[in-house]
Amino acid sequence: MTAYNTIAFDPSRCELCNDCDACITACAQVKSGSDDPLYSRIKIVAGFNGNPPELALCRQCGDPECVKSCPSTALTKNPDTGLIDWEKSLCVDCLLCTVGCSYGGITYNATLKHVAKCDLCDGDPACVKACPSGALSYITSAGIFNEQHEREDLFVPGLSACQGCNSEMIMRHSLRKVGPDTVLATPPGCIPGMGSVGFNGTTGTKVPVFHPLLTNTASMLAGLKKQYNRMGRNVTAMALAGDGGAGDVGFQSLSGAAERNDQILFICVDNEGYMNTGMQASGSTSYGSWTTTTPVGSEMKGKRTSQKNLAMIMMNHNCEYVATASTAFVEDYYEKLDKALAASERGFAYLHIYSPCPTGWRFPSSQTIEVCRKGVETNFAPLWEYERGGDLHFTHPIDNPLPVEAYLNLSGKYRHVNAEQLACIQQQVNERVRTLKRYAGQ
Amino acid sequence: MATPALKLKHPGCAQSIVCDGNEAAAWAVALARPDVVAVYPITPQSSLVEYVSQFIADGKIEAELMNVEGEHSVLSALHGAALAGGRTYTATCGPGLAFMFEPYWRTPGMRLPIVASLVTRDGITPQCVWGGQQDAMTMKETGWIQIYCETVQEVLDTTVMAYRIAEHHDVMLPVNICHDGNYLSYGVTQVEVPEQSAVDDYLGEKNINWHVALDPLRPMAVDPLTGGAGGPGPAKFVAYRKGLCQGMQNALGVIEQAHADWAEIFGRDYAPLVEEYRLDDADYALVTIGSMTGAAKDAVDSARERGQKVGLIKIKTFRPFPVAAMTRALKKVRAVGVVDRSVHYGWDCGPLYQEVLSCLYRAGQPIAAGSFIGGLAGADLTEGHFARAIERTAQLLAGDEFDSPVWLNEHD
Repeated sequence: MTAYNTIAFDPSRCELCNDCDACITACAQVKSGSDDPLYSRIKIVAGFNGNPPELALCRQCGDPECVKSCPSTALTKNPDTGLIDWEKSLCVDCLLCTVGCSYGGITYNATLKHVAKCDLCDGDPACVKACPSGALSYITSAGIFNEQHEREDLFVPGLSACQGCNSEMIMRHSLRKVGPDTVLATPPGCIPGMGSVGFNGTTGTKVPVFHPLLTNTASMLAGLKKQYNRMGRNVTAMALAGDGGAGDVGFQSLSGAAERNDQILFICVDNEGYMNTGMQASGSTSYGSWTTTTPVGSEMKGKRTSQKNLAMIMMNHNCEYVATASTAFVEDYYEKLDKALAASERGFAYLHIYSPCPTGWRFPSSQTIEVCRKGVETNFAPLWEYERGGDLHFTHPIDNPLPVEAYLNLSGKYRHVNAEQLACIQQQVNERVRTLKRYAGQ
Repeated sequence: MATPALKLKHPGCAQSIVCDGNEAAAWAVALARPDVVAVYPITPQSSLVEYVSQFIADGKIEAELMNVEGEHSVLSALHGAALAGGRTYTATCGPGLAFMFEPYWRTPGMRLPIVASLVTRDGITPQCVWGGQQDAMTMKETGWIQIYCETVQEVLDTTVMAYRIAEHHDVMLPVNICHDGNYLSYGVTQVEVPEQSAVDDYLGEKNINWHVALDPLRPMAVDPLTGGAGGPGPAKFVAYRKGLCQGMQNALGVIEQAHADWAEIFGRDYAPLVEEYRLDDADYALVTIGSMTGAAKDAVDSARERGQKVGLIKIKTFRPFPVAAMTRALKKVRAVGVVDRSVHYGWDCGPLYQEVLSCLYRAGQPIAAGSFIGGLAGADLTEGHFARAIERTAQLLAGDEFDSPVWLNEHD
């Protein structure tokens, strides 16, 4: 099984540019040397009744109706590239394919007198490059699937995470990549709570796994790694910890291990609170958030203080590698995971992954990745990395961030937020980015 | 500092030195050849970890030294090292032990054979940096083996023995070697240091993680959630608890054997569980623990010279409590005065006193008993204090019983 790259479309960003048609013009020029939009293989269709715009473009479907409709085998699914290839010499111009396609992805060009469709410009689509708002993006994460899917998932199927759980996705991606010569420590929280360490003699993990204290994950792994070094054995000491076990009660041991530059791969899955025990607030809970211990009532409107920026604090330990990541940008995460794993051979590597929680944050389980994405695109959760001795480096810079409401509006935990709180959150986001930019030398 | 010119009295020893109890413990650590040592300083333990660190710096101990940011992480790091198969050591006391409590409390359940010296220190508040056994006694129900030393030499010898006990297949439990802050930590005396090769033979191959390991070559889940009201949980939890209790009971015999073998090789013979001193013809006895025992024995000798038929029972192994040995000793007398260096708040007495009462009940021996509490916060327990304790215990024999403890330093 192979996965393929594709073009993704974000209507909310597209709306920002008010019918700029840059993608359409770019396509027409590249494919036909013309500015006439009729030659474009991509179209932006205005939404009816105030609905967002829609994209008319070939989806390079896995089960393509155009191919099934074609009586002359002019259209075929290319198993290597994933493209729906159109062969002019075989086409009989019957136009049945244009009826078969539901997306307006293959259309008749009256001037050329035959159909035309997107071929992804050999992996470098002109429309994406031309798009000024980032509404179009070329998604290449298929490569990760192709590269990684043969690797064994080192967690068992059937962990009891909530539907749409981001943490489970992070765990599976991460351990699969890190591999079997690993000792995994996962302190109390959602990750063992879903059965990764196990219950009553069973286990959910295929590598040695330990349920450390909420407080001591890093120091326990530090001792373990010391002993393996002493024995001349190369074993990865890996932590998958929540934000409480990393940054609140577990912070002392985390800080100590980072200061000593102990050889640990420490992954913090930050869902902004104690979600496993019922959505209580942590030091990572953002300002204004509803939680069960920062409730909304007549006297209190969610959390009254800002979250600590744990990733920046870790960077200031000058440990080997520090990065933030988001599952909406999984290629970015895989690159960082590679670097962190290599760095953990030399010293302390810390990955901070924003992990919105559908259950605790009150959003539909289908929206996890969208919440992740908006977190990044509003600069609420900027993506950056830091290597020992170097500058901070933005890995997915957001030049025109969406207003923070675009992120907050997705989660019920901010439903009560008033204008004053909103302004405060936006200001915090701006300040955080300013600080990061200073570290980036910008 | 070592003074090798001193004459050796015992076999199997390489040199004779003059040192305090903290340095003696460090020599024992060197002899035990640990893999990983994690340290954090606290009075009156600090010089112990300084000695160990210096020994590692000098190559005298070939171990990984971890300078950790607090006692909580000290023991946590040792958990990791032990789960990877390393022989481990640390030392702490007082507030440091209190801070260590979370991993400390967990160690016996994982059956990790970690050895840790407790350089005992009184509890706060009032704020206090001096000796007392309140720290160790507060931890007595956690499942650690607790052995209390009387002399500096005994600190060295017992600290080595601790590895033999902890790593015994039938025990697999952590061991605290307790030595009194100030009196043993800083008390200087002549000490004989065993030969390395003899200690190597005595300890044998290390035995750390055959039963519980974090090792990709034999993957297992360490400490899944266990228990609950249904399914296999309750029975599994009981199996772990019962196993730990059995390990503690097994330790009694292992501690005795460890001492017997030590005596044979190195010529120094300590009562492993309970020492009886001038007890066989005694009418009544003091019960003591730790370094106070020397002064108490002097007081017993003086009383004997005055014709008083008093003896002494010293407890060395406090956890597991040597019920049979203590009961055997108590059967020889008709009254006891138990001297504690700590307080049992629940019963307004000393903790050792309470244990003695339990033995007496179990033995069906309702003799008179009284609780004495002394030596708190570094206070000295002199022969004079014990003479008073002996007199008061003699009055018990005459029927003059008392309910509240006698505070020996109350009028110092």
